[in-house]
Amino acid sequence: MIYCSVDGALMMTHPGLPEFWGICILIMMILTVVWAMTAPMTAMKTAMHGAGALTLARLPVVGNGVRLLAANRWVPLVLKLAMVSLFLLVIAAGLFGTPFPERNLATVLTWNLWWGGLIFSIFFLGSAWCAICPWDALAQWLVRRRLWRRARPNNSLNLRVPRWLRGVWPALWLLVGLTWLELGMGITLDPHATALVALLIVVLATASLAVFRRKAFCRYFCPVGRTVGSYSQLAMVELRPIDASVCARCKTLDCYHGNQEIEPCPTGLVMGSLKQNNYCTSCGNCTQSCPHANIAWRLRPPSIEAVRGARPQTDEAWFMVALLALTALHGLTMMPFWEAWMRALARAIGDSGGLLWSFSLGLAACLISVGGLYALLAAATHRLTGGSQPFRRYLTSFAFVALPLAFAYHMAHNLNHLVRESAGVGGVLRNPLGVGALPLGMAEKQIRHMNMLIYQDVVFALQAGLLVLGFLIAVRIVRHRGASLLEAGAGSQGWRLFPMLLFAAGISGFNLWLLMQPMVMRM
Amino acid sequence: MKRLFLLLLFLLPPCQFAGAHHVLGRPTYSLSEDSNTPPSMQVETQIGAYFVSYMAFPAFPKPNEPGRVSVYATRLDDGAPFQGEITFSVRDDSWLDGWFASRKEVLGVQRPNDNTHRQGFIFKNEGDYIITAEFEDGGEPYIIDFPLRIGEPVAVGPIGVAVGVITVILVGVNLVQRKRLPRAGKQGRRAAS
Ligand code: SF4
Ligand code: SF4
Repeated sequence: MIYCSVDGALMMTHPGLPEFWGICILIMMILTVVWAMTAPMTAMKTAMHGAGALTLARLPVVGNGVRLLAANRWVPLVLKLAMVSLFLLVIAAGLFGTPFPERNLATVLTWNLWWGGLIFSIFFLGSAWCAICPWDALAQWLVRRRLWRRARPNNSLNLRVPRWLRGVWPALWLLVGLTWLELGMGITLDPHATALVALLIVVLATASLAVFRRKAFCRYFCPVGRTVGSYSQLAMVELRPIDASVCARCKTLDCYHGNQEIEPCPTGLVMGSLKQNNYCTSCGNCTQSCPHANIAWRLRPPSIEAVRGARPQTDEAWFMVALLALTALHGLTMMPFWEAWMRALARAIGDSGGLLWSFSLGLAACLISVGGLYALLAAATHRLTGGSQPFRRYLTSFAFVALPLAFAYHMAHNLNHLVRESAGVGGVLRNPLGVGALPLGMAEKQIRHMNMLIYQDVVFALQAGLLVLGFLIAVRIVRHRGASLLEAGAGSQGWRLFPMLLFAAGISGFNLWLLMQPMVMRM
Repeated sequence: MKRLFLLLLFLLPPCQFAGAHHVLGRPTYSLSEDSNTPPSMQVETQIGAYFVSYMAFPAFPKPNEPGRVSVYATRLDDGAPFQGEITFSVRDDSWLDGWFASRKEVLGVQRPNDNTHRQGFIFKNEGDYIITAEFEDGGEPYIIDFPLRIGEPVAVGPIGVAVGVITVILVGVNLVQRKRLPRAGKQGRRAAS
């Protein structure tokens, strides 16, 4: 642990990635960019219903669990009940427990464990979180008044979502709002505010389910669900038809309509034409309702969807770019110099108090600069490659580059929180409301820091590995998507993609620099 | 070696607040060097040309228990502590009282002692209060509000509001559905016949 002095105050920080790793990653990035500009390119086929994909249910040990989950309604229900109980405990702890954030289950579980760990779970389990999400479960039970069977009538007005609300723009604005609350208002340090936000989301999810058809909240509004959905396009698992020809011949479309017992797909997906993970909430309705038992979880190369399968819309593209900006902002706000920047900005604009105007300006600047840089370099690529396709296609197609960069940095950053700040979780679980607990003293912080879950060098290696992986996937995306956009036969025209490669390298370089700085402890 | 380091940590000068991530304007809590004393609450904020640290001790005073607030204001440009007078006052911040009968009472006017302005208090009643520190410098008035909770927090409000809103939505939707469903059923039967 390092102590940093900021304006005379002593701050406890986690050490940044050592220079050795920084130099190695930098060299790798330069070599990769040179290779990407010179090596011949071939556009990959987009078909993804691959024969030979490994079905999870056939695996030796994991297979039993997957089969149990897919065939049995009780297991997901028990998991949901457990999550809802935990969620209600979080609300109770937030509202009635100690205000010391490091001693209260609401803040520790929500921000250190759940928000930190959720991002990792996406890589391995896709959108599994959505399947056991307590917000959705509570909304479902309150509106449908059934624990799991299909409810008829379903007690909802079943209105269509107005056209102006369709798309992920509402989720994007809510994500920006959540970031503002998290980093600007500092609700991560406030158990009471954490509980209020959790309650607010239950109210929104319930209202949405009561008014709109299917699960509009999951599909359009939920900032967490859309973040999970976007990142799950880089997950190593997917739910897809076992045999695409069975779906092609299917007349009933039970996956889409549901059946007597099972609810329809909450986000309105038809399994036979499913190419992307982003709107699948892993609810398992389709695996239960398909009369041909034609749907299965399977393993896949994590980058395949972002590299070639997915076709984004404009709103989804900007959501991914915004995710990239917001992950960088998360890192920036935990740098020891961030507060000094905010104070200087506040003085310049005459801001007072919690400096929320200054923070809001910083947030807007971050979104605009990353979005602007992306648009600028996409335009440059459009020009360099001859511009035979509309610029909008470039904007939407290359947005997938943002995804692995954001995901990799998000995981590397969260690894610090998880590994270095989770030592007190046992105590918080034993005393969720923190009754009689005292704030964390300096000595205890130091002891927690020394009791890291894994060795520091392993953390550094993992962080470096994540950054490298994210960058390599981003380069693959640039090359594949570039090849399909290039005028006449991609061949050895990789140099024309230089602006987008520069974007990937620039953002990765910035993220690397952030990781190399000491990071202020959250609690 | 580890023990020696921990000992050194305990001996760090108390004026150097050592904290994790903190957000201006939000309360943070800490123990003093003597862990037998109750925790204190700090709020840091920036106003005009000043950076202000406010501390309430104890962090959660009980009714009829003496406590104190301290304010340490330094100029942002040269770090010079404010040496003038600060007027401390209090008003009720509870929901209804705060809106309808927010009477402000002056607690006292304090000069600095060791660069810090201290104000003692004793509250008779539980509740949420706002302590206001006011001073003037260079003809500019500075007014800073800080929260202070006396006694245990009452937190049924948010749950009540959430339950209320959800009930209104569900009952409203249910009433609309009662009208819509028979109508839809009739239309369906007419179409089938
Ligand atoms: S998943 Fe099953 S129900 Fe859906 S289209 Fe395919 S075969 Fe039909
Ligand atoms: S029904 Fe199937 S495709 Fe639709 S969200 Fe649930 S798991 Fe995903």
